[in-house]
Amino acid sequence: MTEFIDGPLWYFALTVFIVGVIWRISSIFFTGKKPDYSVPRQASTGGAVATVFTRFIPRRDMAPKIRIQTVAGYMFHLGLFALLLFAAPHVAFIEHHLLGIGWTPMPYWAFIVASQLAFLGLLILWLHRVLNPVTRLISDFDDHVAAILTFVVMLTGCLALMEGFTGLRVLHRFTVELLMIYFPFSRLMHAFTFIPSRAFTGAWFARRGVDA
Amino acid sequence: MSERLEKGLAAMRGQMDSRVASFLSTCVHCGVCAEACLFFTETSDPRYTPIHKTEPMRKLWSREYTFWGKIASKMGLKKPMTEADLADWEMLVYDGCSMCGRCSMVCPVGVDIAYVIRKVKEGLCAAGFSPEDLVAAGERARTIGSPMGVTEKTLRSTIAAQEKESGYKIPLDVQGAEYLALFSSGEIAGFPEFIGSLAKIFSHADVSWTISSEYFEATNTGVQLGNSKLAAELVERVVAAAQKLGVKYVISPECGHAYTTIRWDAPNFIGRPLPFKVVHIIELLEQLREEGRVKTNSTISDRLTYHDPCNISRRGGVLEQPRTLLNMVAPNFVEMTDHGSMNWCCGGGGGVSSNERANPLRAQAFGAKKRQLDEIQVKTMVTACSNCRHMLEDGLEDNEMDIELIGITELIAENLDTSGSPKAT
Amino acid sequence: MPVSTDSARYTAWLERRCAVLLQLTLGMVLLACFSTLSFAAEENDLAGKVKDPGTQLWNEVRQREGVLQGTTQVAGMDSAVLINVDGERWRQFRMQQLIPAAGLALGGILALIALFHLIKRGVPVAGGPSGKYLHRFPDIDRILHWSVATIFIFLAITGLILLGGRLLLIPVVGDSVFGALASASKEGHNLFGPLFILGIFGLFIRFISKNFLASGDIGWLLKGGGFFAGKHPTAGFFNMGEKIWFWAVIVIGLVISATGLILEFPFFGQTRSIMALSLVLHGVGAVLLIGGAFGHIYVGTAGMKGSLDSMTTGYVDLNWARQHHDRWAAECEANDEVLSQSEVARAQGRSTLGEVPEPVIKGES
Repeated sequence: MTEFIDGPLWYFALTVFIVGVIWRISSIFFTGKKPDYSVPRQASTGGAVATVFTRFIPRRDMAPKIRIQTVAGYMFHLGLFALLLFAAPHVAFIEHHLLGIGWTPMPYWAFIVASQLAFLGLLILWLHRVLNPVTRLISDFDDHVAAILTFVVMLTGCLALMEGFTGLRVLHRFTVELLMIYFPFSRLMHAFTFIPSRAFTGAWFARRGVDA
Repeated sequence: MSERLEKGLAAMRGQMDSRVASFLSTCVHCGVCAEACLFFTETSDPRYTPIHKTEPMRKLWSREYTFWGKIASKMGLKKPMTEADLADWEMLVYDGCSMCGRCSMVCPVGVDIAYVIRKVKEGLCAAGFSPEDLVAAGERARTIGSPMGVTEKTLRSTIAAQEKESGYKIPLDVQGAEYLALFSSGEIAGFPEFIGSLAKIFSHADVSWTISSEYFEATNTGVQLGNSKLAAELVERVVAAAQKLGVKYVISPECGHAYTTIRWDAPNFIGRPLPFKVVHIIELLEQLREEGRVKTNSTISDRLTYHDPCNISRRGGVLEQPRTLLNMVAPNFVEMTDHGSMNWCCGGGGGVSSNERANPLRAQAFGAKKRQLDEIQVKTMVTACSNCRHMLEDGLEDNEMDIELIGITELIAENLDTSGSPKAT
Repeated sequence: MPVSTDSARYTAWLERRCAVLLQLTLGMVLLACFSTLSFAAEENDLAGKVKDPGTQLWNEVRQREGVLQGTTQVAGMDSAVLINVDGERWRQFRMQQLIPAAGLALGGILALIALFHLIKRGVPVAGGPSGKYLHRFPDIDRILHWSVATIFIFLAITGLILLGGRLLLIPVVGDSVFGALASASKEGHNLFGPLFILGIFGLFIRFISKNFLASGDIGWLLKGGGFFAGKHPTAGFFNMGEKIWFWAVIVIGLVISATGLILEFPFFGQTRSIMALSLVLHGVGAVLLIGGAFGHIYVGTAGMKGSLDSMTTGYVDLNWARQHHDRWAAECEANDEVLSQSEVARAQGRSTLGEVPEPVIKGES
């Protein structure tokens, strides 16, 4: 079982993930766009690039109404990126199994704090999804699976922290592989597609001379 | 599959593009857009959440444009779409959305929700799930040339009345004039003084302009319905009238959706660039002011504010010009807290005002505007869209609020410096 | 027709599951108790039968009169103590007293709850559903509550594995599986522990203002909260039972949190004695809170019908409020805060589209 999860299933998951992500992003662009014959007020490239960054910060008038989503959202995302890319066991994994190069990981205590932020953020976000009438109405199976699966991946990672039991490590790796296979078919693709999405909108508004 | 459903789905397929694909891939159902939409904030009904209004498009996209969706549909694991998927969305999309686009400004992942809702309308309209009032208006626009049934005869008599009232000549069908002015039927019927104001200002500013008796309608019911074919047909009439008179510019009047249509969407409906430039009346007034051709010699002392029509400001890009003009003529001009590109909609755009069934909902949605006005306590409100003006007047009356409404062109005309003699047009 | 039919059906489903779960858990815990008691009894049988000639020597070594500090070149806490009794004291206490006592306490509470439920069968809403509602908890309160609940349950399970696993689980799953289980529990418990601290801090901020002693609270307590006999005593937004639970969570929670931090970060001069004492307080406090949580979960679900809605949808039936929190209900009615069924339905996206909901007219009952 361990050999299967460390071997064939890993390669399968990696392939599905890479091919799937590229396929999904390409299909967005291959859907095509009709040309816009209207006379632009200004070039839209500036707005396209700017909006990719400005949407990270909620508008001042909206901020008080969406505090829960914003705070928990950033706790989760920043915590997750930090632990994914800078936790020592992950950096070692990336160096040995993916890129061949590594980098200085963050200290252990920072890893734990990042994980705690990520767990709390995700828990609050998912509870908000279930308890708030708006998100409860518009959420679907995909949203819940994505949240719960991500939580399970993080949890199995936490349980294996001592790095002393193969079973726990393999359980974590297995859930990671499940997530990688699930990823390209799900809303988790927003991790990549938020860039063209924000850029399209930024360009659309910039053409009209509006800061979006 | 029923014929209605098939027509609706085919129309939506025709609307699918990279933008829609990226938006539907990226939305994470966070619910932030709801807090920006006045139909949600004033009713607390989660069904008015903007992204929820795009469900028909999302269902189609997930079943026909995604890998797993295609396989699951073929294997019978995903339920096929039904008529109810379109029918149940009619009220959400037509009554509960004015296409104001406020949602598109706040989405954290950059989804232009109003853009997608516009495309959902194509599907609903093709399947026959549009409000009957709006469908009737579209029919009138197609056959009479005006959604409100304003005929050429009415236009001529209104022009004659305005000439008398204002004391200025209103040129009709002048070959080779520089500017062709369009009007919304709402203006002709409800606020005809706009035409007189134009005559006064253009006369003193020495603007060569005309009105076409063949086609004068600025609004496009095809856009409000979500019927691209009708929209294109109506645009072609404007193009034909403009080309016949050989004008260089077409003036979009005080009407929000008319502006976005003729300025930004029209060329795409007809598949080619327009043979003229489009300018909103506010843009033209500001340009004339800059050139020194429009001057005011009096001001209005009232504490007043400006209501940004969504499709002129946020979706149209005419943000600074009204403010420059107002600063010239209104020393007590105060802004509402959410103004400019984040203004709150009057609630009546996108065809909502033509849809009688939506009246109770629209009246409730006015609560957003009421809150803004209660905060700043003004005597007068200026706007640049006759539809907004109608909606705001209704709302103010419902809530027994004593605020006067005035159009910006009219305001400029009232305070115009007429010391130079009027030029012949 | 009640607006939250889904919720009512869900509550009924939950109640049935809770009853079965209670009975099963009760059985398992009682079994565990009996086995540990008999195990402990066996150990004590041999003591006092044979006198050891080196008793005095070993008494000194065992430091029964207190911890003996020697001198040493080795740096570190307690490194001058040759044989530390506190570790052994803790182990004995844990294996022979804490685990059985915990089993008895928790099992006892479950038994009492089961008994109570067999008698009362879930207290129904007096007067039935009224069709009118009060908004009791906004989103943030419910999110906070369920976050803390989830973290607490995770800490409770991992904590109980760490407490009693050596005694109760190794015979069942074996050494190597328990090794992984214990390692996982320790890592999980230590990571989520600080989140519990943040959670109870949040609860404190949100609910402190509603949990001060008010008139009628002592009376409520003396009448047993109406749980056992007689009329339901008067209560405000929170009744005395809830207030006691709030303060228990905060105070015992603080003790658990503080001792947890002492145990997790032993680099601030903690001696073995401090660590052992912290373990005792942490364990005892945890068992008390877990027992309290059993009661809290029971009352909030199967025990008092209509209660769960307050934490799921946030809305409660007016009759439920009048029955359990009459002073709060009266205040809401005086302030025109009663919502009609259609208003609540619309806030949940279930009303007829396009219809403006009728508000409740003041005075309408």
